[in-house]
Amino acid sequence: MSERGHIPESRQREKPRADLKWIGKSMKRVEDPRLLVGKGVYTDDVNLPEMAHAAVLRSPHAHARIVSIDVSKAAALPGVLCVMTGADAAAVCDPLPTWASPPVLQPAIAHERVRHVGEAVAAVAAEDRYIAEDACELIEVEYAPLPPVVDPEEALASTGDAVLHPDRGDTNIALERKLTFGPVEEDFAAADLVIERRFRWPRSGGQPLETVGAVASYDEGSGRFTIQCNTSMYNYCGWMIADTLRVAPHKLNIVPTLAGGSFGSKMFVHKVPIIAAALARAAGQPVKFMEDRIDNTTSCDNHASDRVYYAKLALKRDGTLLSLKTRIIDDYGAYFQFGVGQHGNALSQCVGPYRINSVEVDLAAVLTNKCQQGAYRGFGSEVANFVIERLVDAAADELGMDRIALRRQNFIQPDQFPYLIPTGNMYDSGNYQAVLDETLKLADVEHWRAKQAEARAEGRHIGIGIATCQERSVFSATEFWMWNLEPGVEWTSSPDGVSVKIDPTGKAFVTLHSPFWGNSPETVAAQVLAEQLTIDPADIEITYSDTDQGLNSTGPGGSRFTVMVTGAIVGAAGKIREKLLRIAAHLMEADVRDLALEDGAVHVKGVPDMKMSIAELADKAHYYRLSMPDDLDLTSGLDATYVYDHPVTTLPDADERHMGIFYPIMGHSCHIPVVEVDIETGQVHFLHYAAVHDCGTMVNPMTLEGHIRGGTVNGIGTALFEEFRYDEAGQLTTALWTDYLIPTIKESPADIVVGHVETPSPFTEYGVKGGGEGGRMGGPPAIAAAIEDALKPLGVTIDSLPLLPSRLRALIREAQAKQA
Amino acid sequence: MKPPRFRYLRAESVDGALRALADNPDSRPLAGGQSLIAMMNLRLVRPACLVDINRVAGLGYIREDGDGVAIGALTRHNDVKHSDLVRARCPLLTEAYESIAHHTVRNRGTLGGNLCHADPSSETPAVMVAVGATLVLQSVGGRREVAAEDFFQGPYETAARQDELLVEIRLPGRGAEGWAFAEVSNRHGDFAIAVIATTLRLADGRCEAARVVASAVGEHAARLRPAEDALTGGAIDDAAIERAAEAAAGAVDPHSDSHADAVYRRDAVAALTRRTLRRAAERCG
Amino acid sequence: MERETISVTVNGRAYERQVEPRRLLSDFLRDDLRLTGTHVGCEHGVCGACTVMMDGVTARSCLTFAVMADGAEIETIEGLGSVDAMHPVQRAFWEKHGLQCGFCTPGMLMTAVELLERNSDPSVDDIRDAISGNLCRCTGYQTIVDSIRYAAHLMREDGA
Repeated sequence: MSERGHIPESRQREKPRADLKWIGKSMKRVEDPRLLVGKGVYTDDVNLPEMAHAAVLRSPHAHARIVSIDVSKAAALPGVLCVMTGADAAAVCDPLPTWASPPVLQPAIAHERVRHVGEAVAAVAAEDRYIAEDACELIEVEYAPLPPVVDPEEALASTGDAVLHPDRGDTNIALERKLTFGPVEEDFAAADLVIERRFRWPRSGGQPLETVGAVASYDEGSGRFTIQCNTSMYNYCGWMIADTLRVAPHKLNIVPTLAGGSFGSKMFVHKVPIIAAALARAAGQPVKFMEDRIDNTTSCDNHASDRVYYAKLALKRDGTLLSLKTRIIDDYGAYFQFGVGQHGNALSQCVGPYRINSVEVDLAAVLTNKCQQGAYRGFGSEVANFVIERLVDAAADELGMDRIALRRQNFIQPDQFPYLIPTGNMYDSGNYQAVLDETLKLADVEHWRAKQAEARAEGRHIGIGIATCQERSVFSATEFWMWNLEPGVEWTSSPDGVSVKIDPTGKAFVTLHSPFWGNSPETVAAQVLAEQLTIDPADIEITYSDTDQGLNSTGPGGSRFTVMVTGAIVGAAGKIREKLLRIAAHLMEADVRDLALEDGAVHVKGVPDMKMSIAELADKAHYYRLSMPDDLDLTSGLDATYVYDHPVTTLPDADERHMGIFYPIMGHSCHIPVVEVDIETGQVHFLHYAAVHDCGTMVNPMTLEGHIRGGTVNGIGTALFEEFRYDEAGQLTTALWTDYLIPTIKESPADIVVGHVETPSPFTEYGVKGGGEGGRMGGPPAIAAAIEDALKPLGVTIDSLPLLPSRLRALIREAQAKQA
Repeated sequence: MKPPRFRYLRAESVDGALRALADNPDSRPLAGGQSLIAMMNLRLVRPACLVDINRVAGLGYIREDGDGVAIGALTRHNDVKHSDLVRARCPLLTEAYESIAHHTVRNRGTLGGNLCHADPSSETPAVMVAVGATLVLQSVGGRREVAAEDFFQGPYETAARQDELLVEIRLPGRGAEGWAFAEVSNRHGDFAIAVIATTLRLADGRCEAARVVASAVGEHAARLRPAEDALTGGAIDDAAIERAAEAAAGAVDPHSDSHADAVYRRDAVAALTRRTLRRAAERCG
Repeated sequence: MERETISVTVNGRAYERQVEPRRLLSDFLRDDLRLTGTHVGCEHGVCGACTVMMDGVTARSCLTFAVMADGAEIETIEGLGSVDAMHPVQRAFWEKHGLQCGFCTPGMLMTAVELLERNSDPSVDDIRDAISGNLCRCTGYQTIVDSIRYAAHLMREDGA
């Protein structure tokens, strides 16, 4: 196994236990009361005195040179404070932050050339947004159109005027690499059978209800910016924003607001706060820039994966899976902010839950005249899951085997964990058989098979699909390493911190250094701290730091938060517990080893009357220094900070034989939808839906189920409805929410039956795993399989999404024509 | 996404509204605004002047009109949807409302506004043509009646002149007519990809009159006469329905967009024609 | 710039303000009255986040000009209940996890209140019909239905 790297010792301190009081409880959320009464403060709810409002003029062209731009009429409009063109912005800002190396330079406002429809060509700050939009209409821009590049496979061959970034050479290929893990050629030579398919995964996006926004102000006296913004990662790499604004990092304070949903799309917001800040400095007034929906759909920098796969799965006649080869063309749009991070994600779990001996990935990341890619639940790994699951279904069909039996046969076995896959990533633990069995039970497959037979006799088409899904969580920064063509961001730390304080009255305060973005950070923190200090969650107050106060914290994204904040709180609470015991030992004249913290008090074991409450001890700690042990390290008060590092990560191999351990906390799920297809209209209805997830030890089953169900409906959107579709001219034809089709309740199953299996991680505190993304990842292949099953009499094969009624009807029509 | 400037006039009476429209040739009426304001937010339409008719007295009613129904143009969709009188006398319209928009939009949106907006993929125009509704237009110069069939002239284009206000929609009694409405859309409540509204009258088992009306597959709601011809005079059996469905598909020349391609729309017209005719035939008598 | 004077009652309080005719009710409530609990998600009438109660029925505030609300009684999320005295619908959404990011929640709550005012015991289908115009990207809707059913139960209990 040395080819795949080594597995470090576990650093877990808190083992999973049955007697936990708060962890594992479906506690009502701490976040909710203010959200329910309309008092949550999202970015657009921030109002500062003298605040101006920004709007941007969006490019109507997919690809063009900006020949001239005249802002004089706009600037003269009453109420307009400032108009900023790309040239103006370039004079005061550097290109936007990026992880790609070499970078693909992205200006905050397009300068000299526009590269996608909706790209900002100028920004206006005005007394209100109405006037700002009026002013945008008065800006006169002359464009010289360039050839639009829309098809990713054609982009491979672009030259000349069709090249988006000529400074990088005469090509639209941002990166092309082939990585081989294990004996791929030998495994293919040994195969009895190779399944070969082309898949097309559509461009969708997180599209939270709230767009991206920022309220920026600039204090001329101190030369400092303050930006209130709905971004994550601000305490990890917020200084990059300062770099772009050409101020020293300590001259910028980023203050998080609530985020009205993200699903990955607000992982590192950069363009919007930079435009707001540049305008604020130029206008001499605070500026709010809140994207409107079209700003967001056309230019959010966070469209999701958009891939063509040529995939080959090698296997033995007996069903043993051997090797996986994929040629991938990924349409990154006009820029390349995260490099091919989406493929690092994919390679963390590209063999699914199966024993597959070797993997080859031949990737071409191409640049086209579209909004650039970012993160959306799965961040690229959901596509790999679709591919492996579709291939396994195809293999079962080819072999005449049952789709479920073939999966079961190839599962990694419970005693094989921790398990290194060919890419070097580790699966920490799992019990895939148990998850499958539980799902089959909840789905009542026998019942639905009978219904299916009845329906077929009546000419109706019911189908049952199954897909398993790995649910990687807790990425490590080492993921950024492998892919860059030149040394770039070679970080190895991706921690999360907390600050905990017990005040003199015994109340607890937690400062989180990561934002709320629709998850339950306050609830999780309260439950874990309550568990650790044996206190009531109602006695805990949670706040969020800004970058001035912040500790190194990567933030939510990659299903990290629950695992990481649990680790951080265990670390901080451990320090506080130690201090409590030490003070109590001193005051009660007992040996520390004879003390225990229970029910909010330190007890002398076996002596029920000998105890001091946390409040009493906190009072002593704050105000009675002379009653404390005389020790310079024992300071007054009761507080601790802890920055919890990634629980288990290793360096990539210098010879590129593996990527190291970079995404190891591996959840697992199985989805079984039952659908009915109307073959005349191509419409799909859900009759039943069962999903079982194993996210290790559950902190809050209720909120985990919320993620699973919400994610599943996101997956339904991806599978059936949602697509950012560009026409041949590079126009986004689905920029409005009348056309970008997010499922309403009517398209969502009435009851998604959710089950759990808990296989704790041996590496994380309490055995917790992340669970923020799996719903969206498991759904699409399962739904595709269900539709295929429904249409089995017609012989329809599903290899592209979304299956809008018109697309599905086209497949049915073809199949009917073939049969006739 | 903010609307451009416009002048705002509020009318309190029909006469006031008509005068305002006549005096301001660049004006148009503002009723529920559920389509118009969305388009203004997108700056896709920019009327210089809006005459708000929401306070106009006497334009919101549903009442008997002979054996039919008269509906004031300002009647909100939800009032029409839930009207027992409409359900009894024009059940096709009630059935269509199952597919029209969402509750909150129907609270504000008006039937008259919807018809005058004349969105080519809207449902209500198809119903109006199928039942042979009469639309009453009024201006300072007087009133005139226009058959629904003649009212819809193109995408967002109607027979109403700028200075005319739609004041009443008259739905004839259905007698023994059969009826059915069906549509396909990608999501429930969205604008349609294809709509078929059908009415049928039988005498002695033979089809005396049929209307097969399509929406969302052409420039405006329109009768598919070849389909109607395939039905008239004969029995409504499977063969006739199949002929009509084929004729319906052949009679439309739909467009392609991000929601569906033309082939799908034509297919859907055939499927919906089949389905509505079967239901309409069952409902005859 | 042409402005109109309007008088509206919002959450029981009377306001008189001058507004441009084009000013959307959503912006009037959020920016002019600083009632930021009403959220704006799409501004073209699709998402339902901006739903408020206007003269007793729900309206999309992004599809309503503030001038059209002259003389109207408006209720927003801020008028529904407070943290210490939540409306049963708010209590139910908290209890049944009917929200995650909270952005669609004000519109969802106003829509639910309207439903429950006309139907004290709605079926699942009634609820699905009522909120079909309100998008939620977080929950998958199921717990929202649970919440509204539970709210109906609470309201019947309170009324009994």
